[in-house]
Amino acid sequence: MGQDCRTKASLFVTCIVDQLYPQVGVSVVRVLRRLGVSVDFPMDQTCCGQPVFNAGFTRQGRQLAERVLRSFRHSQYVVVPSGSCTAMMRVFYPELFKDDPGLQRQAKELSAKVYEFTEFLVKVLGVEDIGASYHGAVTYHSSCHLLRELEVRDEPRRLLGKVRGLQLKELPQVESCCGFGGTFSVKYPHISEGMLADKLANVVASGAETLVACDMSCLMHIEGAISRQGLDIKVRHLAQVLDNQIPSPSTKAH
Amino acid sequence: MPSVAGPVGMPKEEFLRSVRQALGKGHPTSGGLESPYLRLGEKLADLEAQAQEIQRRNTANRTELLERLAATAQLLGWRVCRSPNPEEAIGYVISVATTLGAQRVVRSDQAVFNTVPLDTALKIQGVGVTTIARDSARSRESLRAEIVAADLGVTGADYAVAETGSVVVVPRKGLSRLVSVVPPVHIAVVRPQEVVDTLDDVFLLRCLEYHRNGGDMGSYLNFISGPSRTADIEQTLVVGVHGPKEVHLVLLG
Amino acid sequence: MAEVKTHNFSAASKSSILDPQLRRALQRVGTGFDGARREAIQEVTPQVWEAWREQARQIKIHTLDNLDYYLEMLHENVVKAGGEVHFARDAAQANAIVADIARTRKVRVATKSKSMVSEELDLNRVLETMGVNVYETDLGEYIIQLADETPSHLVAPALHKTKEEVGRLFSQKLGVPFLDDIEAMARVARETLRQKFLQADLGISGANFLIAETGTLVIITNEGNGRLCTSAPRIHIGITGMEKIIPSLRDLAVFLRLLPRSATGQRLSSYVSMVTGPRRQEDEDGPEEFHLVIVDNGRSRLLGDPALREALYCIRCGACLNVCPVYQKVGGHAYGWVYPGPIGSIVSPVLVGLNRAKDLPHASTLCGACREACPLKINIPHMLLHLRHKLAESPNPDEQSPTGAQGLLARGYVRVMSSPNTLAIAHKVGRILQKPIAKKGRIKKMPLPLLSQWTRARDLPTLPPKTFHQIWKRELSRESEDGA
Repeated sequence: MGQDCRTKASLFVTCIVDQLYPQVGVSVVRVLRRLGVSVDFPMDQTCCGQPVFNAGFTRQGRQLAERVLRSFRHSQYVVVPSGSCTAMMRVFYPELFKDDPGLQRQAKELSAKVYEFTEFLVKVLGVEDIGASYHGAVTYHSSCHLLRELEVRDEPRRLLGKVRGLQLKELPQVESCCGFGGTFSVKYPHISEGMLADKLANVVASGAETLVACDMSCLMHIEGAISRQGLDIKVRHLAQVLDNQIPSPSTKAH
Repeated sequence: MPSVAGPVGMPKEEFLRSVRQALGKGHPTSGGLESPYLRLGEKLADLEAQAQEIQRRNTANRTELLERLAATAQLLGWRVCRSPNPEEAIGYVISVATTLGAQRVVRSDQAVFNTVPLDTALKIQGVGVTTIARDSARSRESLRAEIVAADLGVTGADYAVAETGSVVVVPRKGLSRLVSVVPPVHIAVVRPQEVVDTLDDVFLLRCLEYHRNGGDMGSYLNFISGPSRTADIEQTLVVGVHGPKEVHLVLLG
Repeated sequence: MAEVKTHNFSAASKSSILDPQLRRALQRVGTGFDGARREAIQEVTPQVWEAWREQARQIKIHTLDNLDYYLEMLHENVVKAGGEVHFARDAAQANAIVADIARTRKVRVATKSKSMVSEELDLNRVLETMGVNVYETDLGEYIIQLADETPSHLVAPALHKTKEEVGRLFSQKLGVPFLDDIEAMARVARETLRQKFLQADLGISGANFLIAETGTLVIITNEGNGRLCTSAPRIHIGITGMEKIIPSLRDLAVFLRLLPRSATGQRLSSYVSMVTGPRRQEDEDGPEEFHLVIVDNGRSRLLGDPALREALYCIRCGACLNVCPVYQKVGGHAYGWVYPGPIGSIVSPVLVGLNRAKDLPHASTLCGACREACPLKINIPHMLLHLRHKLAESPNPDEQSPTGAQGLLARGYVRVMSSPNTLAIAHKVGRILQKPIAKKGRIKKMPLPLLSQWTRARDLPTLPPKTFHQIWKRELSRESEDGA
């Protein structure tokens, strides 16, 4: 074979998917490959630094960000199954390195080539119909960083709209925050739980059997309450829906 | 009057210095012709030209403007009466006064009341009318007492704004500030030439007025856009708190 | 300065969140005001709304970047109009200025229309101590004055009170029979305060905007108290933060379009009153004296930090409160000082001292709903992050909050994340440690200090047998060599 002209995407899988929901990463890779994308996974990746950065520790955040800059220096595209991690890299990395022109240049380069998964499918690959099918009533939660830092509003819905057999039920107050917010969830648990209760009530009210989103942080939060309350609602990352996966993302036999 | 700026407050230069320090500026921002803000550099002639354009445009669109003013004002809570002639206007004022059982009316001293002579008609109904304008016999205090005792206040308007359903009153000689706010009911009589389209129109015209008079446009200006209201208790709307609970717009022409 | 309880956010919010009456009130305000705001935006169309926002933001950027220039211009023009301008570095100085005017002019009775700045100063207490009777005249402010409380919202200060509570309050403090009807209560307020308006020697107002070009103070009200406070007494004092300036008269238009719609969904409030100096000789009425008191009180700290300067663009509409999921749960009092909600979480800490208010920048999920609702597009989430950074890392002792434990955790986190190997080891260790507490893929109770807060009402997922790194290495990487 001669020159490989396929689109090349490096996967930044995110620490939460890597550690807790690896099946989501598998779905991302399968979907991208199905679309003819050449996917690589820089093995030295760990975390984008957002958890410590959001807690106020920019020095520590920077340490982790520098690793990311190195790992993805030569990538054509970087695809991320998370709105909040993408926002960290696109919006906050350039700011984080503002006192180092060299690193800031690298950060801006990364900014320009990093995409959240659904953004990548729709805006870069120009694809909405993956040929997926998923039978059942689904409701979509739009996670805050995806919605408001990246302004990704339509892409997930367009993808869901093309999934055969999927009934999309609108989530009441779809744009309201699920209450996770990283350390917020454990520093102000009373408020976090209150926001979660509202979000869960809306999910139940939608009549959907499956809750879908583009951020596992939100889904982990909401599923935490679904599980505690014994509700019969499945939780899936959008990539898993596009990949037609049936088993739950968070358990296999342990 | 003893000035209090010295020993009690911070001297202006010191305050400005600390602002400059915060901004990281060693020296005052330059002004005048190098003013960083274009709007402030406009010459009087430009303002005059823009004012003329506003008058021309509003005159050309008068019919539409009056309709829009009436509609918007109604939306904002004015009771609107279109009066093609002065007689109807007078008749409306009389009917309001009668319905209220008003015994005392106060009004401003404005040109509109030459076209719409209310006093005689009101007096025939047994309603006392006082024009709030000082003269040798009447002091500010006595006129204020009249206003406080009044059931109804009537004014003209300096402008009426179609965009916002507002009547703009510019207090001056013969135009008391309190006439339109103290009595429980206020009637504003508006002439067609006073009606403008937008807030921008009003502010351009006032700006012109300000600069024409060497930097004075009067001490006060009020936009009135409906009756007094509040929603401070359980977010329930109540009309008529401290200002008038009823406002009427008599639109001539 | 008004009492500072910002350090108490955690405890205060824990109790306020359980208050069902507050919950109902907040829902009313949230859906009511925010719903009306959205309708108002739809009415003018989002395109027009966005153009207004951008125009207003540009005006504010320019003005604040050149604040010294415009303060000078404002001063000149207020003086030209016959007014006096006073500058106050802090609350104490501002109070001293007002007290001095009140004393030398022999003021006995003062009426006040809404001024958030005067709440910062705790001005009423200062005046009352010198024997001046001060009456709040904005109905919501009047209610909380009678109740001896602080405001819980920027625009609706008494939202936390039911009408029964107001009825009881009026009967206790005003000696009227208990009223059940809101209209009747408003009538009582009108009658009681009417005399005060007319008796008052001094009227005190805030300022929504200050126009540098003409030396004009602008107040936007619905009740009419603003007009009566600024027209009936013989002295008018306007108290304002130094950031309220806009350059020219014509700039006011866009702000009049944005503020009432953002606050309550109204096209325009009932009254916009514009004061330029004391009455002129020919005027039939109006104050003989006009004083403008321009207050810093920590605003230069916001001004001086480029990352925080835009907090000064705020026009106090309250839209951010109405959309904030945190404010909607805990209400205004939990924030512990004059300014609650998203904008309050920036302004209060910077004005009272960051390490006295270290919860406020953290009590947010950074969801960004506030920025979306803000007519000036103020980037509140980014400023909250900036304050979090200061709390964790500032060399300034007034700003840094001891983060011993958190710092350790952060460094520990980086240690684990410093290479895929350390991460893999941590995963293995985690798998072992979770065995005793994992049940069918869920952890119901987490023994560790902070994480136990999660498992009060939520399950945690367990660590799966293989991480994505491992799955990639074993199953997926081979496919990437195909098709080449």
